[in-house]
Amino acid sequence: MNLAEHLKRSAVLGLGFSMLLSLVLGTWMFRAEENDLRLQQRQRLAVLRANALVLAVADTDAAATRSRVQEMQELNPQIESVIIVAGTQLLASTRAEDGAPRALKREEKPLYDLSNLIRTARETNRGEEVVRKKTVQIEETTRGHLVVTLPYLSGGEYAGILQMKFNTAGADTLGDKADSIALPLWMLLAALLAGTFLRLHPEKKIDLSKLIAIGVFLLIALLYQQQRIERLEQIEVQDNQSVAADYLALAQQYDRLGILSLARDPASVNRWDTDQYQRPLGLIGADGRISTEGQARQFAKRAGLFKPILWAINLLTAAVLLMFIYGYAARGYAAFRKNIDAYIYVAPAMIGMLVLVFFPFAYGIALSFTDTTLYNESLPFQDRLIGFENFRHILGDFNVYQHTPDGISWNYQNFYWTLMVTVMWTVTNVTIGVSVGFLLAMALNTDGLRGKAVYRVLLILPWAIPNYITALVWRGMFHPQFGVINQVLQMFGMEPVAWFDGVFSAFFTGVATNGWLSFPFMMVVILGALQSIPKDMYEAAEVEGASRWQRLRFITLPLLKPTLIPAIVLSVVWTFNMFNIIFLVSGGEPGGANEILVTKAYKIAFENYQYAYAAAYSTVIFMILLVYGFFQTRITKATESF
Amino acid sequence: MAEPKTKNHLWLHVSLITFTMLALYPVFWVLALSFSGQQSVGLIDLPKDPSFFERLRGILPFPAHWSVKNYVEVWTEQQFGRWLWNSVVISAMTTLLGVFLACTAAYAFSRFRFPGRNTGMLMFLVSQMFPGTLMLIPLFIIIVKQLQLGNTYIGLVIVYATTSIPFCVWMLKGYFDTIPYDIEESAIIDGASRLTIFWRIILPLAKPAIAITALFSFMTAWNEFILASVFMESEANYTAPVGLRFFVGGFSSQWGFFAAGSVIVSLPVVALFLQLQKYLISGLTAGSVK
Repeated sequence: MNLAEHLKRSAVLGLGFSMLLSLVLGTWMFRAEENDLRLQQRQRLAVLRANALVLAVADTDAAATRSRVQEMQELNPQIESVIIVAGTQLLASTRAEDGAPRALKREEKPLYDLSNLIRTARETNRGEEVVRKKTVQIEETTRGHLVVTLPYLSGGEYAGILQMKFNTAGADTLGDKADSIALPLWMLLAALLAGTFLRLHPEKKIDLSKLIAIGVFLLIALLYQQQRIERLEQIEVQDNQSVAADYLALAQQYDRLGILSLARDPASVNRWDTDQYQRPLGLIGADGRISTEGQARQFAKRAGLFKPILWAINLLTAAVLLMFIYGYAARGYAAFRKNIDAYIYVAPAMIGMLVLVFFPFAYGIALSFTDTTLYNESLPFQDRLIGFENFRHILGDFNVYQHTPDGISWNYQNFYWTLMVTVMWTVTNVTIGVSVGFLLAMALNTDGLRGKAVYRVLLILPWAIPNYITALVWRGMFHPQFGVINQVLQMFGMEPVAWFDGVFSAFFTGVATNGWLSFPFMMVVILGALQSIPKDMYEAAEVEGASRWQRLRFITLPLLKPTLIPAIVLSVVWTFNMFNIIFLVSGGEPGGANEILVTKAYKIAFENYQYAYAAAYSTVIFMILLVYGFFQTRITKATESF
Repeated sequence: MAEPKTKNHLWLHVSLITFTMLALYPVFWVLALSFSGQQSVGLIDLPKDPSFFERLRGILPFPAHWSVKNYVEVWTEQQFGRWLWNSVVISAMTTLLGVFLACTAAYAFSRFRFPGRNTGMLMFLVSQMFPGTLMLIPLFIIIVKQLQLGNTYIGLVIVYATTSIPFCVWMLKGYFDTIPYDIEESAIIDGASRLTIFWRIILPLAKPAIAITALFSFMTAWNEFILASVFMESEANYTAPVGLRFFVGGFSSQWGFFAAGSVIVSLPVVALFLQLQKYLISGLTAGSVK
């Protein structure tokens, strides 16, 4: 029996493949977990110091604050620099070249924005009495270099932010102790060996060799995973020990300086070692003793996150094994070989679509379940997960208007306001497009009208010009001071209008622009349909004595329907997503009142840098379009049968 | 019936001409502004308390002084030439890549029957439903933040090419389906390989459809504004749309440069559009009925 035949009959390929896949995926996942643990360790050490600093300067005047920060930075060489920003002031900085105290410079605006972001987060948490928003922002610029920003309090009140640059080189107790590659290799070898001696009978439903193959696979896979889990737990214990040691050393520094007398009472809470919501982790007591139950709780929480992934890996790889031992893999391979030409032709486009359309789509959906912003995007994915929080915030906020003494005041930032504007925007524009297009098409369809082709070409021009140019041109024509439209108004003795300052006038600018560029499409489509209506139908109706209105109502409109409905469906989607017009003409002015959903999502992402929130917003838009698409196909089907 | 007809036509012509003039006013306005040789958004400097006729003169789309200064200076004093070049390169690369990807895939979908064929075609169709903004944020994070392809041609090109694939594949597949299979069969009997058939027989026969696909890809890339403005941050890497917005967006108001640039950018696409409108319209409506 030759080698190829042997490979086919034995379980070596199946066991080898599934085992390799299981080990590679498992190792990859555990590596990611370890990296995450290390990052978490670096962050803990940084947050520990930052919290200590904030607490040390909480009740001092400005001069003492500066000197304390300076002292602590000099004692801790790992702290590269510390700055404190209060309002628009740079209150303190350990870098001499900064020349604190002084006002913030123009290029330091991000610091001011960050301060506002953290203030809102803090106020949200306080107001709702639920800890929902992170008050500590951590960014890892390059590996080991962390930038930690947290609220700076003065007399118990929010006063600004403290930002610390921290170099954790050397603080990583585990270092980069690469785990041995030998163990998984031995395991793979064992699986291959077992596979060689197993003879398969794909035609049988169940037999001993299949059971053995599955048993061997599960045994090795689970053993390996158990070993890895133990290793993770060990790392976590070591991490806690090293943080405790670090904490004690730091506490001594503060004691010696007399800045802060630490409560060595074992019962009190350690307020330095906190998470990003500034809640004490409860792993290390104020006396530096490690809490075993806290540690167990911490590990259980982590296991809760990675266990489902492990299950998914095991299911997937077991499925691969079953595919092999039942002969599906061989059949699939044969089919692949037979159609290899076709797959080669399709592959480039397919890969492109998968990588640049389907993957980003899935990524966008996944992103919407996180709290990713510009400031925390370097964190591991699982640390950013917040579930349905974004959706709850978008859809659950019904605060659309308020009663004030002056009447009702609308909240333009609310989702439902924007949705309402979008619906009105779409309905108005499609109505205008269809009616103007219909009138023009009827006019151009007149028998014996001369110069039809010329009119048609001239009237199609607005569609041919790139729409961003159209938008900017209309923006110029609506210019409140020199714009042509205000000139015309003044020509007839009317007052000029500040177009972009009023909610309705700004809405009108968008509608005018979009109406201008959307009527040609409708005109062309309707004209095409009109020309295909047989002339003798009208003649017959005329002979029967039908009036113009009756001919329109009972011949033209019913025959237009099959063309008109798809065209309307299409233009509804176009208008709903018409980003350029709103963004370039009025920019959503005044105060965001005229944003439509897509421009709003853009602004959330690229002006507020809340990527995840914007992704959730876009997901909601997608859902709306999906529902619309569902009803649209039903309506189209209904009209087709008609 | 004959007598009132002529009368009706007169009024129809009058109203059609009026409407056409009004509809084309923005076009004349840009043309006038581009030849006005100045940067203000108004065509004429109006006196302090203008009369009716002075205002009327102000809105008529004729510049006070005819000049090609804007056209000259937008090339020499602004970076417009560079932006236009960026757009040309990106659009050309998009066209090449997009047409290559679409041709090969459409050929396979049209000529082979293989497992996964229907799923694949359905995937292409479904992808058309993803809204642009939903894709914008992940694409920005993946291409600009992770792959560091912001401010490069390649980043925009691969995104443009893949977004134009579905439409092009469906269009080309429809055309390939109309090419009789007999031609290929006889070529196979003569001993030609699949590649030869594709390259020597199918592609030359499908030239008209490929030309339209190419022009469609080109126009997609040429007219795209949002992705380009997000991906291209440094001024030297702007594409023409982003550059034109730069002239009149924010606090700058160089309307003369904008107008001259707009005319230059629009001319080729308007010409192409007028040539291609028949195909585009039939393609769009056919796709939506399906």
